[in-house]
Amino acid sequence: MSGELSYLGVSLSRPRVAFFELTSCEGCQLQIFNKEATLIDFLSLVEPVNFREVMDEKSNDYQIAFVEGAVTRQDEVVKLQKIRENAEILVALGSCACFGGVAQLKNRFNDMEWVKKEVYGDYPIDTQQARPLSAEVKVDLEIYGCPIKKEEVERIVVDLLVGKAITHPKYPVCMECKANENICLFDLGEPCLGPVTRGGCDSWCPNSRMGCWGCRGPAEAANMDQMIKIMARHGISRETMLDRLECFGGFAGYVEEMRTDETNEDIQGNSE
Amino acid sequence: MNGLKFYDVLTEKRAPRVRDFERFEYSFEAEISNVYSLTETEKLYQIRISDPEKRQRFTFRPGQFVMLELPGIGEAPFSISSSPSRHGDIELCIRATGNLTNFLAKVKRGTMVGISGPFGTSFPLEKMEGGNVMLIAGGLGLAPLRSPALSVLENRNRYEQVDIIYGAKKPSELLFTYLYEMWRKFDINLKIIVDTPDETWDGPVGLITEPLKERIAAYGDALKTDTYAIVCGPPIMFKFVCAALTEAGLPMQKMFISLERRMHCGRGKCCRCNIGSTYTCLEGPVFDYWSVMNLKEAI
Amino acid sequence: MIFRVFNKEELSALFDVLAENIIVGPVEKALDKDGIPLYSFELVRDYEELRLQYPSTKISAKKYFLPHNETLSSFSVDKEGWTKHVDYNIYKPLVFFGMHACDINALNKLDKVLLESVYPTPYYGSKRKNMFIVGVNCTPQSHCFCRDMGADTVQHGFDMFLTDLGDRYFVEVLSAEAFNYLDRINSREAVEVDHLDYMKRVKERIGKFTSKVDTTDLTKILDMEFDAEVWREWGEKCLSCGTCANVCPTCYCYGVDEQVDLDLKGAHKIKHLHSCNLLDFAEVAGGHNFRPESYIRLKYRYYHKHRGFVEAFEESLCVGCGRCGEACLADITVPEVIASVRGEG
Repeated sequence: MSGELSYLGVSLSRPRVAFFELTSCEGCQLQIFNKEATLIDFLSLVEPVNFREVMDEKSNDYQIAFVEGAVTRQDEVVKLQKIRENAEILVALGSCACFGGVAQLKNRFNDMEWVKKEVYGDYPIDTQQARPLSAEVKVDLEIYGCPIKKEEVERIVVDLLVGKAITHPKYPVCMECKANENICLFDLGEPCLGPVTRGGCDSWCPNSRMGCWGCRGPAEAANMDQMIKIMARHGISRETMLDRLECFGGFAGYVEEMRTDETNEDIQGNSE
Repeated sequence: MNGLKFYDVLTEKRAPRVRDFERFEYSFEAEISNVYSLTETEKLYQIRISDPEKRQRFTFRPGQFVMLELPGIGEAPFSISSSPSRHGDIELCIRATGNLTNFLAKVKRGTMVGISGPFGTSFPLEKMEGGNVMLIAGGLGLAPLRSPALSVLENRNRYEQVDIIYGAKKPSELLFTYLYEMWRKFDINLKIIVDTPDETWDGPVGLITEPLKERIAAYGDALKTDTYAIVCGPPIMFKFVCAALTEAGLPMQKMFISLERRMHCGRGKCCRCNIGSTYTCLEGPVFDYWSVMNLKEAI
Repeated sequence: MIFRVFNKEELSALFDVLAENIIVGPVEKALDKDGIPLYSFELVRDYEELRLQYPSTKISAKKYFLPHNETLSSFSVDKEGWTKHVDYNIYKPLVFFGMHACDINALNKLDKVLLESVYPTPYYGSKRKNMFIVGVNCTPQSHCFCRDMGADTVQHGFDMFLTDLGDRYFVEVLSAEAFNYLDRINSREAVEVDHLDYMKRVKERIGKFTSKVDTTDLTKILDMEFDAEVWREWGEKCLSCGTCANVCPTCYCYGVDEQVDLDLKGAHKIKHLHSCNLLDFAEVAGGHNFRPESYIRLKYRYYHKHRGFVEAFEESLCVGCGRCGEACLADITVPEVIASVRGEG
């Protein structure tokens, strides 16, 4: 697995990489080791020095840190800050790391103590509002998705090696969904966030006739006003739409705006 | 098995354009024969088509571009900066700004690249013979302008007055500084101006429109009859330059501009360089100012 | 032109003789929420799956001649250099059984820009030249405006075209291959009564068009109304999602991605159909975007289809199939956009 790497006569350095997890299901890391067909090639490009799921050795001498999961405890803040100090490139791996992910659903409750009690009973545990890595440290690169797509990680690693800029699709999921010739979920009477969610997943869920839940966060020209109208026109309730928008945390800003609008409408409604 | 016959577009005798089909993905094998650093971000690449016969047969006109490809890294259009008399020993002046150009900045001499083209329209230098020629460039705009400049130089006696007016932001960004002395020796009226001077600079400071005004005044009525202009640079620059020249009486059809757009094919197929209905790669990159005025969104 | 006739019961025989090739045709893909069938062009192995009476497909047949994603070339790379391998990605002729006039017209329009201009593209060319097309007449739907775009009938670009006369099919025969196939089933020469029935059928069909698009002076009007406020209104609706381009039978714009293989021993050059509505359509290296706003991108879609292409080829790049308007979740339809630009919306 050692040996000089080069491409078109340009020598490439094989980066030392480490994988870490905060509050998460570790599913994104599992994705990386799930695809055996390309695993050997992948491992010849990078040198893993810290990967709890698959190896015992641990080193803090790495260049790229892939961090999965949301920040929900104080010890995770400390851990993340250490990683940041050690890594040249800190990569947020998956929706939890990028947006808070499923864990941030608990932020919907106003009373954190009540949530803690409901879940853990009297067991003493530190739990805070779930937040993305970027709330605590500088993040150099985000890899979206719940879970991430292995092919995308492979592409990103190769691109990093040859010095290409890492870019994500700016268009929404619809673009890839139509290219896959799926039946539009709205034709089937299902809600779908495809029109406003960032593509790059190859319309993974709609390919199986499941509406998009927005795990990759908003597309770069997301037209949320129109999305609200589309949902309404198809008889899908605002609450259903909000449930989806809130699921992974990528749409936090939009949700806040929609909730504020609702509150304003309520106030106006009451005053009439 | 029975059934319809498979129609092979490359071998079928009925195909009217077999050679054209082949040409679509055709690229010359070429190698980077030399690299010179011009500034911090720009390099001049000498690229030589490997096959001597194909190299000699490769002809282009000043203003045309080639597509350069590195497998897996990318393919992009670059206007040719060398003189047409050099045939398939072309020179490209490239700023490291994207995936392909950043990788190019790292490759060694001898690296193999793919070159296809030449594509697009050119500056009509033959038409300009017997007249005055003003070559006006801003920033990286000197790269596409170098080819017509060298061509005019090689045939200096065919033109009357020749001007090169060149503006850059900083002295450190000036391209081809080693050529300036030679240009002056060939009786070229060279004006160089920078926006932000540093301690090394003792030349004029300001916008390109200032030396341009001087030259316009010097030309006087000759602008209306015997003068051509070639303008390359950022949109904001050629907008002002062309407006000033038009006001001074230079006919719009005698002013030529090279436009930059996103291109993925260079062959009028991908539509990415489309300005309304006009393909920059086929009908451009060189347009006369009248055509540009008629293109919505061009400036 | 040669006209032939065969009884309806012979249709399956025609399918059978053609089935020595691969057949693509309209099939039922799903039922929508109201139980109405949705159709698409798929490989048809069994005559029973074929739905020749289909109203329209949600997406055009373009995956067979302009695939959404296509590997243009692959490279092997080693220390010495590299080699390029080109593959046009078609190895067998395909029979298209049941294309409507609009979709055949779409191919004829694509031929003009992709085959009959400089640098004809072999990727499209090799697929197009290996299409055997059996056209079939259709019933105009509420979203169809092909008649206004001059694409409700088709004169060339197919092998045979079937018109349903009730108990029999009237066939226009354009190729020797088509003639030979018809010879293998029970067909006969068309006679006067067939001609009269055909003409009657055509007249009935014309009466069924409802949607109207006025294309008079449209190239000029689009230039005059370049700064019209209506573009901004449509832009506000637009999702910039590329759906209109993806379902369109004539949208051919694309982007190319090059990717180094994971083992660093090769690379691939992949073409993706793009859409002029996508945010980065006109972004250049360095980040400058010539069309940052959605209304400008939407406007350029209309400029390319209804002005630019007309200037270049004397006809619009739109066949009026209405798929874009049907698929657009924001309800942006060509007839409404054009009417609004004409000040009639």
